[in-house]
Amino acid sequence: MKRISKLSSGLYIFLCFAFFYLPILVTVIFSFNSSKSLTHFTGFSMRWYGELIQSSEIMSAVYVSLTIAVLATIISTALGTFTAIGLSKCRKVLREWTLNINNIPMMIPDIVMAVGLMILFSAASINKGYMTMLLAHICFCTPYVITSVYPKVRELDINIANAAMDLGATPWQALWKVIIPMIKPGIYAGVLLAFTMSIDDFVISYFVSGNGVKNISIVVYNMTKRTNPTMNALSTLLIGAIILITVIVNLAPRFKKTRFSKHLSKIAGVLGIILLISVLIFSYNTANLQNTLKVYNAGEYIEEALIDKFEEETGCKVIYETFDSNESMYTKINSGEEYDIIIPSDYMIERLIKEERIQPIDWERLENASNLMESILDKEYDPGNKYSVPYFWGSVGILYDKTKVDKADLKDGWDLLMNPKYKGNLYMYDSERDSFMIAMKALGLSLNTDKPEEIDRAYEWLLEQNRIMSPVYAGDDVIDNMISGNKALAVVYSGDAAYIITENPNLEYFEPHQGTNLWYDGMVITKNCKKTDLAHKFIDFFLDEKNALTNTQAVGYSSCITSAYEEMQKTDYEGVSAYTPRQGNEKDEVFKYQSQKTKEYCATLWTKIKAEGVR
Amino acid sequence: MKNSDVCIIELKGLTKTFDDQQVLKGIDLKIYENEFLTLLGPSGCGKTTTLRIIAGFEEPDMGEVLFNGVEISAVPPYKREVNTVFQKYALFPHLDVFDNIAFGLNLKKMPQDVIEQKVKKMLSLVGLSGYENRDVISLSGGQQQRIAIARALVNEPKVLLLDEPLGALDARLRKEMQSELKKIQQEVGITFIYVTHDQEEALSMSDTVVVMKDGEIQQIGTPIDIYNEPENRFVASFIGESNIIEGNMLDDCLVKFDGFEFECVDKGFKPNEEVEVVLRPEDIDIIAKDFKKKTKIHGKVESVVFKGVHYEIMVATENRTYKIHTTDYFAPDLEVGLSFGPEDIHVMYTMGWTA
Repeated sequence: MKRISKLSSGLYIFLCFAFFYLPILVTVIFSFNSSKSLTHFTGFSMRWYGELIQSSEIMSAVYVSLTIAVLATIISTALGTFTAIGLSKCRKVLREWTLNINNIPMMIPDIVMAVGLMILFSAASINKGYMTMLLAHICFCTPYVITSVYPKVRELDINIANAAMDLGATPWQALWKVIIPMIKPGIYAGVLLAFTMSIDDFVISYFVSGNGVKNISIVVYNMTKRTNPTMNALSTLLIGAIILITVIVNLAPRFKKTRFSKHLSKIAGVLGIILLISVLIFSYNTANLQNTLKVYNAGEYIEEALIDKFEEETGCKVIYETFDSNESMYTKINSGEEYDIIIPSDYMIERLIKEERIQPIDWERLENASNLMESILDKEYDPGNKYSVPYFWGSVGILYDKTKVDKADLKDGWDLLMNPKYKGNLYMYDSERDSFMIAMKALGLSLNTDKPEEIDRAYEWLLEQNRIMSPVYAGDDVIDNMISGNKALAVVYSGDAAYIITENPNLEYFEPHQGTNLWYDGMVITKNCKKTDLAHKFIDFFLDEKNALTNTQAVGYSSCITSAYEEMQKTDYEGVSAYTPRQGNEKDEVFKYQSQKTKEYCATLWTKIKAEGVR
Repeated sequence: MKNSDVCIIELKGLTKTFDDQQVLKGIDLKIYENEFLTLLGPSGCGKTTTLRIIAGFEEPDMGEVLFNGVEISAVPPYKREVNTVFQKYALFPHLDVFDNIAFGLNLKKMPQDVIEQKVKKMLSLVGLSGYENRDVISLSGGQQQRIAIARALVNEPKVLLLDEPLGALDARLRKEMQSELKKIQQEVGITFIYVTHDQEEALSMSDTVVVMKDGEIQQIGTPIDIYNEPENRFVASFIGESNIIEGNMLDDCLVKFDGFEFECVDKGFKPNEEVEVVLRPEDIDIIAKDFKKKTKIHGKVESVVFKGVHYEIMVATENRTYKIHTTDYFAPDLEVGLSFGPEDIHVMYTMGWTA
């Protein structure tokens, strides 16, 4: 009996630890994977560490994260400690109120704090960037320091400062030689809390940052679109650093009396000064906007080396920021953030034209304009391409596993997704617009319809599909899952399909005969852009045949440049139909900007459909 | 028994108010070199505030603090030539014994060998040689107390202030430390200003006792004066135990109370002035045989309590119950008479209030 209980308690602890540390272990293991897959370990390699070090975006994010964390920790620790000491000498009423108010920032959701800070910085017209992020971090770290230091201050003998002064110490000496050393444990706890809070933070940083200043979490967030094992490598390094710090913190008391500890404060001081200087240089660099171009693009949607090349050629500085969806991009520019060039999708371009947020393209200035494919120009969202220059384009279709799907079933087009043979064996996109598009096309409707009765029919179709098929509504994890051959069918974008097929040759892509969504992403110049010359140069740079080829090779989406498009079909994507989306089918349509009413209606219905799946 | 006539600290008309409460109502006091002076009084009497003003932790609202004739009430504590031993010692737990004692010397940037020598000397003075590298938290209360004294004395102050330093010790240790403190004071030869609410402590150590109540000084004097010649009912009842009886001064050396006239040694009162008479319990004798002839006051033994050295016997008389300390035993309900000589009667001015 006793043995069993001992065994089960051992098992319980093992399971707990497994639950905590398995994700970390997986991350570490796959950071050494030789291939891009996150599910199949194909061999040991340091490849991703190499890419990590070479990625200037990640390295600068690491720099930003670390300097912000260190500075925010130092400043908030100083602020918090002095506040705690001061509070202990205050009148009771003032002290208790202050402590209660101090709890509020810790209790309110990050997002509220984030929006508040964003509005504050915008209202005060402070340029968002390194300084705003630092200020925000100091702001949310300080309450934690106060909370961890204050109890230690309360524990002090009320006469301790008097005792020091009685022995000849000035108030400052009393503080440094007696008070601070005595509340050290509280300060250390505050330092650790502040540092981890700062390194961890995503929500607040995301909202208060700008001008290309990104910390690790923002970069990671923008990278999740594609599986990118460099993130695993970065995570592994962070985990290693944290383990190291934990070990040092635990061993530190043993080295208390060594000579080293006496010099520690001097070392810390020197490090602090170095940090401060580097921060000043950094903020000076970002503040120097004279010859800079701010570009806002979707995540994982460019070959970054090309940005460096552009900077070299023109001698300007590109501040490159990324968004995860057209909608979040719109929210950001609506909040007052200014960019020179944005790369949104067709329907969003239409909206920006309507709202007069972008300026016409001066085609005269684009020397490489003739390299563009005729067939993708002059679409409905921007007739005559007055406002936008195509960047990448593609379609939406079905990716299927040749070994699992009967070729004869393909003739059903979208209704293949309703075939009970493949029940529980398919991925749908967790996106209302794409899903309604499928239903509408399956029903022979226009994907831009705003008639409620037609939308209701599409809703019925999706609801039935949900009942019959129990599909998994997934995000970008589809890419990795399909590479691993986890399911037979998936709705995907053509560019993603092309990439997946090169990784898993069992798969094939097709566009249903009922028609599908064709999409075009284009480069636009914002209304408030003053450096139009530089902006046109940037656009022209991506119309260059060589640059376009490099870009499409890296990203995998279909190029808008004739020569690059053709070259890819002969090389990397030979025989991959997904790289060449269907053109000229009358039933294929481009998304238009939806009215707010239609959008909200679809969103409500989509929530209902997904809720059905849960039941 | 003053060791010197040189006044080192003089307090003139000190007043202090905390939150609408007047803690000091005009304190005038002269403190001499090499004097062991004790501020004695119940809690809230202003004794600690007076000490803190001398140390520099508080500034008086009004009045002056003269140190060797120089006004210092605005001088910060770290510039004063006094050091303090705090009630709960206020040692620095992050430093070891050596560094605690050397704290003040280190601040003065003395050479390390001098510091070492001075700390060693201090440790031997307080009887803790060899404790240099001990953690202060690991020491007993009495040892911590000695470290606190050493930490203060090593700075060679002109005056050492002690704020109820023995309050946290047990009774036996307190007795031991009392004589030790006195010895240390004589050895270093500086002024000690000692704050306590324990009258026995005050009487056994001090050269001068200052009795305080409600922010005012009640009496200044040697322990013997204070005990034998209390100036008022408060002092009499606070210092030792006493029987306090209202009476009238009929003439020089003649007082009347409880309906009888008694010879005494006090003079200088107005004829028939209302006074209070103090009879210490140990000064009264109980007479059981033929007492009606020998004594004026008669009564009956009410209770007998054994106190160790003596019995405490309560005798109920016609007008009041007397408290008597005696080494002889008298059985309860025994009829007895009370006897005391003229020198046992201490006559005081009345204060118009009752203790």
